[in-house]
Amino acid sequence: MALIQVRDLKKIYGDQVVLSDINFDVEDGAVRVLMGSSGSGKSTLLHCLNRLEDPTSGSILFRGKEVAGLDVDVRALRKQIGFVFQQFALYSHLTVLENVTLALKVLEGMKKPEANEKALETLSKFDMTIHQHKYPAQLSGGQQQRVAIARALAMDPAVLVLDEPTSALDPIMSRDVADLINRLHEAGITMLCVTHDLALAQNISDTVMFLDKGVIRADEKISILMSDTSDPDIHAFFGNKDNKK
Amino acid sequence: MNAWKIFETDLITQMPLILMGLVNTLKLAGLVSVTGLLFGIVVFYLSISKNVFIRSVTNSYISFFIGMPLIVLLFLMYYGLPQWGLRMDPFDVAAIGFTLNVAAYNAAYMKTAYNGLNFIQLEAASAQGFSPFQIFQLITLPQVLKLSVPALTNQVIANLKDSSVAFLIQYTEFFARMQELAASNFQFFKAYLLTAIVYLAMVSVIVIFARAIERRVVFPTH
Repeated sequence: MALIQVRDLKKIYGDQVVLSDINFDVEDGAVRVLMGSSGSGKSTLLHCLNRLEDPTSGSILFRGKEVAGLDVDVRALRKQIGFVFQQFALYSHLTVLENVTLALKVLEGMKKPEANEKALETLSKFDMTIHQHKYPAQLSGGQQQRVAIARALAMDPAVLVLDEPTSALDPIMSRDVADLINRLHEAGITMLCVTHDLALAQNISDTVMFLDKGVIRADEKISILMSDTSDPDIHAFFGNKDNKK
Repeated sequence: MNAWKIFETDLITQMPLILMGLVNTLKLAGLVSVTGLLFGIVVFYLSISKNVFIRSVTNSYISFFIGMPLIVLLFLMYYGLPQWGLRMDPFDVAAIGFTLNVAAYNAAYMKTAYNGLNFIQLEAASAQGFSPFQIFQLITLPQVLKLSVPALTNQVIANLKDSSVAFLIQYTEFFARMQELAASNFQFFKAYLLTAIVYLAMVSVIVIFARAIERRVVFPTH
């Protein structure tokens, strides 16, 4: 059984349909990539998955259990989904170490030494222990990104969700993110990555889902989408030279 | 006896009362700085509530108490309420009146700081599984307090200085005692100059503490 199964998901704001007929699975250990241009509904879809937004209708099964309903323990669900935001969203008043330990102490009930040990172990995987006492503003974008991923992974989530992980980074750092995602994949971490960066998508997965105007228009190999000239929207997105970096 | 000698003699004679007045000033200013901060946090918390009714009532509270002169509030409570059968001693009136006023100002400072927060951090905390109150307690409030330190410490200075208006509702604080000293020998200039110097000295101590707090708690944001 897939870790996440999304069925007929719909999200409507007022009279505007933002997501419609969304169906996809995320298998355990897989890296799924969701692509689409700005305003296509990518972030809304991610927010529906961990219930930062409530879907209007449809079903989201997490390990076979419905999580789209009103009677779901949303906070327990969120602890299962490690969310890495586009702008990293590190807590600016806390040091790197405190950013990682906060949820371990408060949500997992760990004592400080235990939380510190877990946090340092996770940070070490990202070469960030040396920066443990720094504040987010003292780190580069790439370093903040790694702390944000470490903060999410320290909670041992079932899936890591990355929202536009390269949009705030320069091209060199973007390549590092691709390497990082591949390393995490090799370590068995399940990931759902939302991006409009085709180079990143090509580096981390063979297939992508293409979201356009709130609808998944394709769930296909990237190479096929890039050579597809029959669909003008797919061609405009994947055939665009600017995307082929 | 020359004017200086008379002033000096009266000052020494009245020193115990003046020192008691000073203690009363510090007691009132210290108390309302704490209660004004704590109640201000409550008002601030309610002012960012998702409930529209709670938010509008709280914002009205802030506007009302910032808009009303403190002296009017104190007179209303001290001279007005007894006509409705509610009589309180000057210290209680001053403590309550100042707290209501100071809390409104502190809440306004915190709201300003709140508007400058990076709201994605709050969303990230929600995505991690923190409850709304945990987010307020662990993310919002610490950042808002740190960003408000200069405004909040200025308010403590204002509390110390403004406490002198409490003498108008018969609270015998430092300024009231210095008034008595001036009235007893008509050496107004000397008495009020000394009053100013003492207030300045007390404010300087607060400023030194405030700057030390700012250095300790302010975190890099850029």
